[in-house]
Amino acid sequence: MAITTFDLPDLGEGLADAEIVTWHVKEGDKIETGDPLAAVETAKAVVDVPSPYTGSIAKLYAKEGDVVDVHTPLVDFEVEGEGDSKSAKSKPAAKKAEKKSEEVREDSGTVVGAMPASSEDLEQEHIIRRKPKGGNGRPKAAPTARAKAKELGVDLSQVAATGHRGQITAADVEKHAATGPSAAPSQTKMPPPAPSATAKPVNYGKAEPIRGPRRAMVQSMTQSRDLVMPTSLFDDADIHYWQPGQDITARIVRALVAGCRAEPCLNAWFDGEAMTRTIHKHVDLALAVDTPDGLIVPVMRGVDTMNGDILRHELNRVKIATRERTVNPQDMQNPTITLSNFGMMAGRYASPVIVPPQVTIVGTGGIRHDVVPVMGGIETHKRIPLSLTFDHRAVTGGEACRFLAAMIKDLQHPF
Amino acid sequence: MAEKSHKITMLEAITQAMAWELEHDDSVVVFGEDVGANGGVFRATDGLQKRFGEERVFDTPLAEAMIAGLCVGAAAQGLKPVGEIQFSGFMYPAVDQLVSHASRLRTRTRGRLTCPMVLRAPSGGGIHAPEHHSESMEAMYAHIPGLKVVMPSSPRRAYGLLLAAIRDPDPVVFLEPKRIYRITKQDVPDDGEALPLETCFVLREGSDVTLVSWGAMMHETLKTANELANEGIDCEVIDAACLKPLDMETILESVERTGRLVIVAEEPRSCGVGAEIAAEVAEKALFSLRAPIERVSGYDTVMPLFRLEYEYLPSVSRIKAAVKRSMEAE
Repeated sequence: MAITTFDLPDLGEGLADAEIVTWHVKEGDKIETGDPLAAVETAKAVVDVPSPYTGSIAKLYAKEGDVVDVHTPLVDFEVEGEGDSKSAKSKPAAKKAEKKSEEVREDSGTVVGAMPASSEDLEQEHIIRRKPKGGNGRPKAAPTARAKAKELGVDLSQVAATGHRGQITAADVEKHAATGPSAAPSQTKMPPPAPSATAKPVNYGKAEPIRGPRRAMVQSMTQSRDLVMPTSLFDDADIHYWQPGQDITARIVRALVAGCRAEPCLNAWFDGEAMTRTIHKHVDLALAVDTPDGLIVPVMRGVDTMNGDILRHELNRVKIATRERTVNPQDMQNPTITLSNFGMMAGRYASPVIVPPQVTIVGTGGIRHDVVPVMGGIETHKRIPLSLTFDHRAVTGGEACRFLAAMIKDLQHPF
Repeated sequence: MAEKSHKITMLEAITQAMAWELEHDDSVVVFGEDVGANGGVFRATDGLQKRFGEERVFDTPLAEAMIAGLCVGAAAQGLKPVGEIQFSGFMYPAVDQLVSHASRLRTRTRGRLTCPMVLRAPSGGGIHAPEHHSESMEAMYAHIPGLKVVMPSSPRRAYGLLLAAIRDPDPVVFLEPKRIYRITKQDVPDDGEALPLETCFVLREGSDVTLVSWGAMMHETLKTANELANEGIDCEVIDAACLKPLDMETILESVERTGRLVIVAEEPRSCGVGAEIAAEVAEKALFSLRAPIERVSGYDTVMPLFRLEYEYLPSVSRIKAAVKRSMEAE
């Protein structure tokens, strides 16, 4: 004989307790396995709890109407002939995470389930976010492009996108990997070309960061490529009839001013996004000056108001200030048109790059003697090669041609 | 009416919503097996018959097709029925009524009649219940054109969304994740304020990865997000809540920001609501993705009995592993 305690099993639907509606037994009663012990009210209905043992009732732990917590003692049994306390002893019904089959099975006769319950406070606010917050500026790239970027060690944020709606394509990544350091402002990971099987590893040296005027060049050229529709026009000015003592640069500036007078719309700023243009009355000329640190472009304000001597004086001042790097930053801002005197070193024609919002850049090549057919024979004349590049979004071909014609006419004047 | 506010379980919030609507709209009726005298298998309708009478809150025979059919008929004739199916596993006889009648009443009558019914059913696993009491078949209903499918995940959203479902002019299948019926309590003002259907709820804002889930799985998903925050991973957590129609706008906006998506769903994997979300994101935000979309779901098996059900249900560790795979992709 052994006393065995039977706990109220989990009666399903996850209720933590149950009400004893009716006891079918009283203390001292004999009972057989499967006979009803008590009627208890669960969430679903009033159900009978069957006796798990054959024996007699030693103790009832609750009265009718009492609410008993699950897994707390309900009945003590005196079990006959059961020496094996392990099999006789009731076990608490399974808690939700317990997986021992024996324990769980004990519930299965009467239960529909075991629902977790707690009085834990849920501290939670929700946000209804129907209005988009807007993008984060992260690059959009197809999975193939991302895989390619990973393979090549390319930072996607540095890649110029050409795909639909600004998406980076695999080709963009490849192009960037091939030309990256010169085209991107802050290229960090440029892998060396994959070595062939036989080649020894080559030390390519360390990539150096781009700083100062070179960095500015990277940015302004990239911006120009993305925004401007450049078109170039080439011609020559014959200066054979110049009187002695002409100041070449001053004459070129004067000719450029003459071009602006003929076609003011080339001395202008254009905003393609706002669809506006600003035609300037005065010519604030940006002068591209080569220095060891890179290209510096000081601005000479109001060159249209200067005569020859003042112009020469200003040119000298600007060139010296530029070489000595003493140009104020504000003296490099907001030009209306640009002149590049590249031909002093080499080169005849070029299509230099327009820096928006400007719409025009004039390049002058090296002056040389050309063989010129003239009426009645052949002569050699000094000529200045001229390259006019204009933003075709803002300037028509006719306007550009008339501008260049006016420049040539002014330049060819003897004095 | 003075607002009452008190901490209640999701189950009590559902009762509270039905009581509010019974009180304020005479056309609302509530019925189902054991919902009247007994108060419902889970006590969702406890006290309603006593309060609103046997004509408005009543028991039906054990016949799910009839319960759904009664909803369709009552709705067509101007009532707003709220039918209860005892477990979503018993809902299949009612599906004929949903597919053949409820979902298409508006179209069939060229808009002269709508079907403002709600069919409530406890759904999902995790309570050690017997066979077919534990399944998550929301995708079946979401697939039917003309039905709305809602699954709340907190007491407050259960209250607001059930009010919205009852007031909606079209049929709503309202699936209640029974595992979380009593798992927490929340202050739910009884103010009759509905929440919008067709809306996702952002439960946690984050920038590294978007976790989308619904129903009981919100619990594990939020837990995962909180644990990952300690590891430096900032998860945005979205409760899809209304599975049909889905508020893809909120999900897409989030994925476009984070570039990563992990979907957590209790349902079987194939052809699920999770698959639909993944497909939409692949179509509309592919180029913002920095990693493959991850799905953490149940399996394509019959929902196992209780000894194995926690092997079936997505766990915090499974969700965590998916988030980490996603984070490591780029």
